[in-house]
Amino acid sequence: MNSIEVNNLTKVYDSRFKKNAVTALKDFNLNVESGSIFGLLGPNGAGKTTLIKILLGITFPTKGSASILGEDISNYNVRKKIGYLPENHKFPNYLTGPEVLTYFSKLSGYENPNLNIRIDEMLALVKMDQWKKMKIKKYSKGMMQRLGLAQAMINDPELIFLDEPTDGVDPIGRKEIRDILVDVKNQGKTIFLNSHLLSEVELITDRVAILNKGIMLREGDVKELTISKELFKITIKGEPDEDNIKSALQDFLISKLEKNIVYVKLDSSDEIDKVIDSLRKNNFSILSVENQKNTLEDMFISLINETEKKI
Amino acid sequence: MKNILTLSQYTFREAMARKIFLTFFAVSSFVLILFVILFVSVSIEEMASMISVNGNEAFDFISKIVEVMKIAIIAPLFVGGLFLSIFSASSFIPNMLEKGSIDLLLSKPVSRAQIILGKFFGGFAIVLLNIAYLVVGLWLLIGVKFNVWDTSILLSIVMISFTFAVLYSLIILVGILTRSSILAMMLTYIIFFILSPVLLLRDKISILIDNVVVEYLLDGLYYIIPKTAELSNININIAQGLGIDEYQPIISSFLFMILTLALSITIFNKKDY
Repeated sequence: MNSIEVNNLTKVYDSRFKKNAVTALKDFNLNVESGSIFGLLGPNGAGKTTLIKILLGITFPTKGSASILGEDISNYNVRKKIGYLPENHKFPNYLTGPEVLTYFSKLSGYENPNLNIRIDEMLALVKMDQWKKMKIKKYSKGMMQRLGLAQAMINDPELIFLDEPTDGVDPIGRKEIRDILVDVKNQGKTIFLNSHLLSEVELITDRVAILNKGIMLREGDVKELTISKELFKITIKGEPDEDNIKSALQDFLISKLEKNIVYVKLDSSDEIDKVIDSLRKNNFSILSVENQKNTLEDMFISLINETEKKI
Repeated sequence: MKNILTLSQYTFREAMARKIFLTFFAVSSFVLILFVILFVSVSIEEMASMISVNGNEAFDFISKIVEVMKIAIIAPLFVGGLFLSIFSASSFIPNMLEKGSIDLLLSKPVSRAQIILGKFFGGFAIVLLNIAYLVVGLWLLIGVKFNVWDTSILLSIVMISFTFAVLYSLIILVGILTRSSILAMMLTYIIFFILSPVLLLRDKISILIDNVVVEYLLDGLYYIIPKTAELSNININIAQGLGIDEYQPIISSFLFMILTLALSITIFNKKDY
């Protein structure tokens, strides 16, 4: 089952002068499976926040349709089951942390006779329980972010949208937030994540979509997307002579050679058999052959660069 | 209904958190304290009995003083109270529309109409409370001092709050259109202090200018714009127990409020944030 379904969504921000109109999303399609962590990636101005805003009824689509948790996005009642942490959020600064959570739980239509206990639990989860009596105007950026996360989860939502959730949070705090998100996912909830920190996204997301200038460039499993079909790491038994290896692989492009490990770059993964044959013919014993992984960041940068060149 | 109540409650809290409403409250308290001092130090009953041995004449004297006091209190209260209320309420909508704040609000299961109505009733409630505090306080002081328990002064609470509600609807509309508290405040002050009093004199102006176009323009503006100057006069009249001569200013101002709120909701419903 999908928690989010987006069909041919287009958003054009009109201007008084037509030539200044901006297309933030163009015929965008997306499905997000329930119970997963989905990462939406893209450079600034790619249309990521616009997509979230449309899904949450903050902005209206120009064309197309979308549904969340099986309901059309125009039905605002579905938002009872949704949590949202916007980027650079602003809470009423005259409130304390627990008061902020009370306010937003009320607005979310969350009914829990033990709301105070739930609030205490949420504050403890994001490690903000020691600041309960402090007005939030005195909070640091990291503290606001932690409170924001608690706010997004206070109504026990089925689907949580997080826009840059670790922005301004220290490395330990980021790790804690990642752990919380994985824990929430394990409870069967769906998380839709917008983040610039690709190394973090890579660590926790199940699937990602890459967006640029309102167009979906790629979508898929993080493992699938980061695998590099062309680069292979071959480990040779013993302490082979480097010149002999170079000689055995003279028909191939050696990317790197470190003692008994050789990285070979191929035009196609089908050529790996020929590499192995060549090494074996020269009496090298092969311990392992691994298809090398790119980082999500490598893949992201190369994909964005490629599309920028095309446009 | 629950959402409107929650939003009203938190608009009320927002208002309480602002120093201007505390100032309003402090000014009201100061006025009440001044009257307490005045009433304690000057014995009106004694003065009345010195002037006349006739009980009725003394009573007339007291009621005259009470009437003068009512006018002296109610007229400045109308202007001062509304001046402070407009000033403090003008930022409710622009603050709500700030990035990061409106996103959160709209992502909740709350309709946009409920958000506007919540803000409207919350702002209205705080002004009502402040005005009621001052007027009821004065009524009690006058009652205790002169033993005159005329409730007509209490109707000022309704009139001042109603006038604020009419102007507040305009603040909301301008806030939604421009996100500017200064513009909302300025426009409301212009209507309150300049346009409405000037339009009240439109017949005299028309005679002076003697131009049909100007006459139509003034008439048109008169019927469109809230009639705060007339509402002020009505307020003084009802505080004196004279009743209401003409309901047209009340009805047309009420219609202005309803239409302005409806327009605010319609525009807010279509806006991207």
